Amino acid sequence: MSLGAKRTICLLGSMLLAVSWIPAQGTNTSGQGNVSGSGARIRRDPNQSPAALPRPKTSTPQTYSAAQVQAGELRFAAQCAFCHGRDATGGESGPDLTRSELVAQDMRGDKIRPLLRTGRVDAGMPKFDLADAELDAMVAFIHAQMEKLAVLKGGKRSVEPSDLRTGNAADGRAYFNGIGGCAACHSATGDLAGIASRYQGFALLRRMLFPSGRPEPSLPKATFTLASGETVVVPLVAEDEFTVTVLDPMGSRQTYSRDAVNVKIDNPISAHFTQLGKYNDAAMHNVFAYLDTLK
Amino acid sequence: MNKYAHATLRLVASAGFLAAVAAQSADLPNLLRPPADAWLTYHGEYDGQRHSKLTEIKPENVGRLEQAWRFETGQNQAIKASPILVDGILYLTTPDNLWAIDARTGKQLWHYRHPLNNAFHIGHRGAAVYQDTVYLTTPDCHLIAFNRLDGTVKWDVVIANSDKGYWSSNAPLIVGNHVLVGVSGDFDNVPGQLKSIDADSGKTQWIFYSTPPAGTKDSASGGATGGQMWTTGTYDPELNLVFVGTGNPTPVLNGAARPGDNPWTCSIVALNPDTGKLVWGFQVSPHDTHDWDANEVPVLADAVFSGETRKLLMQASRNGYFFVLDRTNGKSLLTAPFATVNWAKGIDSLGRPIPDPAKVPARDGVLVAPNEAGATNFRPPSFDPKTGFLIVSAQDGYGIYFFKPEHGGYGWAGADYNLAGKSYLRAIDYRTGKIAWEHALGDGAGTAGVLTTESGLTISGDNRVNVMALRTSDGATLWHQAIGKVQNAPITYQLGGKQVLIVAGGESLYAFTLP
Repeated sequence: MSLGAKRTICLLGSMLLAVSWIPAQGTNTSGQGNVSGSGARIRRDPNQSPAALPRPKTSTPQTYSAAQVQAGELRFAAQCAFCHGRDATGGESGPDLTRSELVAQDMRGDKIRPLLRTGRVDAGMPKFDLADAELDAMVAFIHAQMEKLAVLKGGKRSVEPSDLRTGNAADGRAYFNGIGGCAACHSATGDLAGIASRYQGFALLRRMLFPSGRPEPSLPKATFTLASGETVVVPLVAEDEFTVTVLDPMGSRQTYSRDAVNVKIDNPISAHFTQLGKYNDAAMHNVFAYLDTLK
Repeated sequence: MNKYAHATLRLVASAGFLAAVAAQSADLPNLLRPPADAWLTYHGEYDGQRHSKLTEIKPENVGRLEQAWRFETGQNQAIKASPILVDGILYLTTPDNLWAIDARTGKQLWHYRHPLNNAFHIGHRGAAVYQDTVYLTTPDCHLIAFNRLDGTVKWDVVIANSDKGYWSSNAPLIVGNHVLVGVSGDFDNVPGQLKSIDADSGKTQWIFYSTPPAGTKDSASGGATGGQMWTTGTYDPELNLVFVGTGNPTPVLNGAARPGDNPWTCSIVALNPDTGKLVWGFQVSPHDTHDWDANEVPVLADAVFSGETRKLLMQASRNGYFFVLDRTNGKSLLTAPFATVNWAKGIDSLGRPIPDPAKVPARDGVLVAPNEAGATNFRPPSFDPKTGFLIVSAQDGYGIYFFKPEHGGYGWAGADYNLAGKSYLRAIDYRTGKIAWEHALGDGAGTAGVLTTESGLTISGDNRVNVMALRTSDGATLWHQAIGKVQNAPITYQLGGKQVLIVAGGESLYAFTLP
């Protein structure tokens, strides 16, 4: 028997004792709270696209030397600017940092530095293993840019809530309950009640099309079938052709070889991917208009 | 000490060592007809097939591959380059960095580090070698020539103005004494340029502009700039033609600012390497408004098409379509989608997809497949002549695209967001464009290039941490190893009597051999 198989049996045994605990781990129900960086919890209303929000202001004014800002500009241009733009207002794939709540709440790098060190790998942001002085310089530049751009309006990547109001809510409702198939998983009076109060504009549209970002959507479920025929369901955090990684009842990650276990993955989000292939633009805007009425 | 003194010199290979492997030298005859045991250029050979004739590692024994050595760059920039093997020395790059590595041991021979600069450091594709010189492009658009044995700088020239928004990640293509170097530049309205630099002197021989240079009157492009040639092209010595893919037009999402087809952006162009003159061009995305560069490798093969042996050029393009052209004249033979697409109304009489006006970026957003990351991208495919499969890392993806006049007419000029994607290695039958098999790689866009071998193996990586060997005929997995995310294209060569597989995982380069 391989080591992996032994661990599996041992773990799944303990899982059975903790089955009642498992569903709670899969769901992040905190409507509030934009978790930003490690340990940084910013209290803010809906999860918004930075570009669609009023520009936040630095909560604690802080000053940096011109030399530090300049050194940071050089580093930022080389390491960050392709995604976040040379002026930090957004680039090929990354958000406008001058409208970032995390930056606004940051005090001399206490939130930015941990984020740079860990990255947001799932969102495509690598970790940066930089010297302290280099991190400090980047922090200085980002704050300087936020100050500098605080006086400007608009934004080159902006999508305003008013831009999106082209759909017909009644048609959207019919699509939602009919051929769209949305009602198979969702309900206007259940999980989606008040959704338009929690998300506005592009944040609502994006979450409607493919839930991501924060708060994170529910994790997929991994259903293990044991030799006895019993099944254990746990949250899946990662998978590939060869392994599955799940959260055990203690909340830590466990990786199993697919060869050693009998596991089935159920990912409700995959229905959204299928739906992306079915929408036409009118239906998309109509469903958005309908969801926008669920305040 | 000059300003390059921080290039660390550790070892100069001994003359005897060089003599023993001289068959792999990067001189002209070898570049034109590379020996089976070498990997002398970015694509291995001028045809861009990335198909090795080596057969020691084969489906029957690939499961026994073992790690021979591992080279760590000690940096946090992932390796995205294909290394080059010349005379037992590997040349490997990341942005600002070039290493010479002893291919027998994985130990560093010398290392060059370019001074800190403010150009984009998003990736680097590789070096180029000719005779005793190795060439490196830098993010701030220098082309530097080194003595390839000890790393001393021979010359250093500027190929574009990085202050205007150009940067370079390019692995040069060397044809004769021409070092062809391209640049990138999507955030500024700058013309697309490919430069030919004299291999010996560093002097500029010619410049090909895919869009008109500033100050010239040329109505053909419709006012578009862009069309950068940032990937490495291919070359047919019989036709004496270089084939290069060109990038998207700028402003990127604002198509109204640049009416018409915007040639030669999002195109495959055939150039005379001695003059830089355009011989033909084929536009794979007329009037692009989605950032779909046509920089993917124009793969060359002499193969039967519709009953006749022809000089073919194949490209699986970022816009989701697979193109087969007659490379003698650039005429279309086949156009077929290889991934989910919803942006074209059909195919025109020239074989070009016809953009659907309903899928042009709009104020309230349009849902578009593929997304900006594309149906494929910089990761090179491989062509297996035996099966006739072009094997490409493909993505079925969706994005949402916005444009309103407030976004302006400079640089990106719009907003777009990738929503979701799923990746597959797909085997496209070049005769029909049909998918013979696919192998799931995971969510999001892939990053690994592809290598095939004459023994029937396909080597690539998934979207997490695994390098994999598949059976080329049906895509079945035969071997895998978790090494970190593969973001380069694997290569293979023979050294010391053994076939070696080289692939990068994250920031490390791995060598695998049979026991």
